[in-house]
Amino acid sequence: MSLTPGEYFLQGNEACVEAALVSGLNFFAGYPITPSTEIAEGLARRLPEVGGAFLQMEDEIACVSAIIGASWGGVKSMTATSGPGLSLMQEAIGYAAMSETPMVIANVMRGGPSTGQPTRASQGDVMATKWGSHGDYQVIAFAPASVQEMFDLTIKAFNYAEKYRVPTFVLSDAEIGHMRGLLNVPSNIKIVNRKEKGVRRTDEAYDVPDDLVPPFPTFGKGNKAAVTGMTHGPDSRIEPEDPKIHQELVSRLNDKITKNRRDINKWDLLCPDSKHMIISYGSASFGAREVAAEDDRIGLLRLKTIWPLPEEPIREAASKAEHILVCEMNMGQLYHDIKRVALEAGCKKIELLPKIGGEPPTPGEVRHKLREMGAI
Amino acid sequence: MKPVVDLKYCKGCNICIYMCPKKCYSKGVDISPRGYFAAVVSEPQNCYNHKREGKLICELCVLSCPDQAISWHPEGEETK
Amino acid sequence: MEVFDFYRKDRWPHVFCPGCGNGTVMNCFYRAFNELGWNLDNTVFVSGIGCSSRIPLYINADALHTTHGRAVAFASGLKLARPELDIVVFTGDGDLGAIGGNHFINGCRRNIDMDVICINNNIYGMTGGQASITTPHDFQSTTTPYGNREYPFDLAEIAVAAGANYVARWTTRHVHELTKSIKIALEKKGFNLIEVVSQCPTNFGRRNKMGDASIMLEWFKENSVRREKARSAAVDHVDLNLAGQVTIGEFVNRDRECYQERIGVEKHGEKH
Repeated sequence: MSLTPGEYFLQGNEACVEAALVSGLNFFAGYPITPSTEIAEGLARRLPEVGGAFLQMEDEIACVSAIIGASWGGVKSMTATSGPGLSLMQEAIGYAAMSETPMVIANVMRGGPSTGQPTRASQGDVMATKWGSHGDYQVIAFAPASVQEMFDLTIKAFNYAEKYRVPTFVLSDAEIGHMRGLLNVPSNIKIVNRKEKGVRRTDEAYDVPDDLVPPFPTFGKGNKAAVTGMTHGPDSRIEPEDPKIHQELVSRLNDKITKNRRDINKWDLLCPDSKHMIISYGSASFGAREVAAEDDRIGLLRLKTIWPLPEEPIREAASKAEHILVCEMNMGQLYHDIKRVALEAGCKKIELLPKIGGEPPTPGEVRHKLREMGAI
Repeated sequence: MKPVVDLKYCKGCNICIYMCPKKCYSKGVDISPRGYFAAVVSEPQNCYNHKREGKLICELCVLSCPDQAISWHPEGEETK
Repeated sequence: MEVFDFYRKDRWPHVFCPGCGNGTVMNCFYRAFNELGWNLDNTVFVSGIGCSSRIPLYINADALHTTHGRAVAFASGLKLARPELDIVVFTGDGDLGAIGGNHFINGCRRNIDMDVICINNNIYGMTGGQASITTPHDFQSTTTPYGNREYPFDLAEIAVAAGANYVARWTTRHVHELTKSIKIALEKKGFNLIEVVSQCPTNFGRRNKMGDASIMLEWFKENSVRREKARSAAVDHVDLNLAGQVTIGEFVNRDRECYQERIGVEKHGEKH
């Protein structure tokens, strides 16, 4: 049984487990890696209870491969990992993007590069999530900033993966994953199921046209689907030599996400009309949230979706603000993209507060940086 | 039944010539429409399945042909 | 079912070179499948990357043509999600043994129900003839211009040691035996491996004085030894694989319980 509506006190990773079950997860393949292991452990216990299958694979490559296989069987599937595991998964993430396989990867980020800080938080995988695999493709990534959001955004991740047939990420970190907090499970949770080929659609969620997201030809239903990572035409015939087919395919894979930004992008805004805006996401926003709550000169734009980048709220904030401070737990990854959007919108002063080492920036550090910038 | 080589598929690898225990096949001398020297069934009467109906035996040529170019046809049937 | 009901006729002729053994294995597979009278709608073909891994795309059924080496991992997930489907994996020596070696060994160990047909042509054919893990010692390839300094890998023996339920090795010269083995494997539960030593006249034979498919088939015929006899031969068994002789025959046929039975997902299919 998945969680009944009510209040719970759970760890971030446990909230992710419960959200996955609420979303209808049926298959999980995992490999132990700190700090995401609790998700695998939780699902090893919980999935058999709801009639799903749990499989511990021999490495992360096998995990992501197994969930793609399961997804083509028509079930919702997921894996959980952290930085080094994400690096191993990259090839198959590109495959999932090319073959349009819905799947969810919970990446509980830790300090890198390499083995780095297994037990400490970081946001070092933000760019690896989007650009890690070769070729042009788009993914969807959510960055939760609390136990509640870990639950809500995991459900969203499943819904968007199904709706757009795209690999979707939940980018939390060791801080959120291991944090215990209050979880309020609402009674009316919206779950999106896959638009299958040959099945009449009844769900209003499928407002995306067929030429962008084609119906899913589930295996074992006589669809004779030939799924391949090679360039293929609409009839799934492989055409690796044809420039036009490749161009059409890859542009559609990108367009189905970028043209639906409005639907996918989620954010949270504090004091929207401030002259001094902080833009942050995930646990890097802890300190900024406190500063913005105390000081009404300071506004906070907290991104819940980070890929595709919510350009609209950034543009709007930048058109009013004099200063923009980007808080991240890396050496500046989303900063460059935010800077590009903010500069286009006319904001001149965009600075970065990079904090690495495993702890989110404190309110004191945020204030100090704002003072340095001349904002307060 | 007699084996027939389909010129649309044959790539002239000559595996049938090697495999056939009764030497029914021989190397082609004319270039097929696809540009290969397709094998020719020169001695169909040697085949184990000559004048045989029902379950066929041997079938080494059909099973070995990498291009699915050999198939069985009744003796009287006109094939090109 | 006629051969071109089984295969997608609109994609014919296939991409394989003249004399390639893949087509022979396709014939044997079609024959075995047809004799069992199975339904294509209930079978999914999975493959990785390489010449042999193109085969599923020619079959008139659901096919998953995946990344290099991961076919067994993809198939494991698919089987657990949909236990009622029959999974057949087409793969090659480089795909299964080199880049996918870990998945292969653990697939045998886990014993998830699938039939793996490994077409071992001793070379990386699609990329133009580089030495693979099964290239015999001292043989030529583009990456071993002075002869292969390494010793080959015995895929079938590894599968036996790792716990596969059914393991057999044949060559493309042994078409009837191969067909029979494929039939046994298809009917059998658990992880079944059939290794087919196949000819690649274009990239392997040509560089080793066997540029003609029939010369290679003759080589297989001359050098293959039944496993019962090979065991008694006073030679180091690991070196046997193609360096001097090809060990053929059934390696193991046993009934270990498979993974999906142990975790009890067998009845999942009823939901779909």
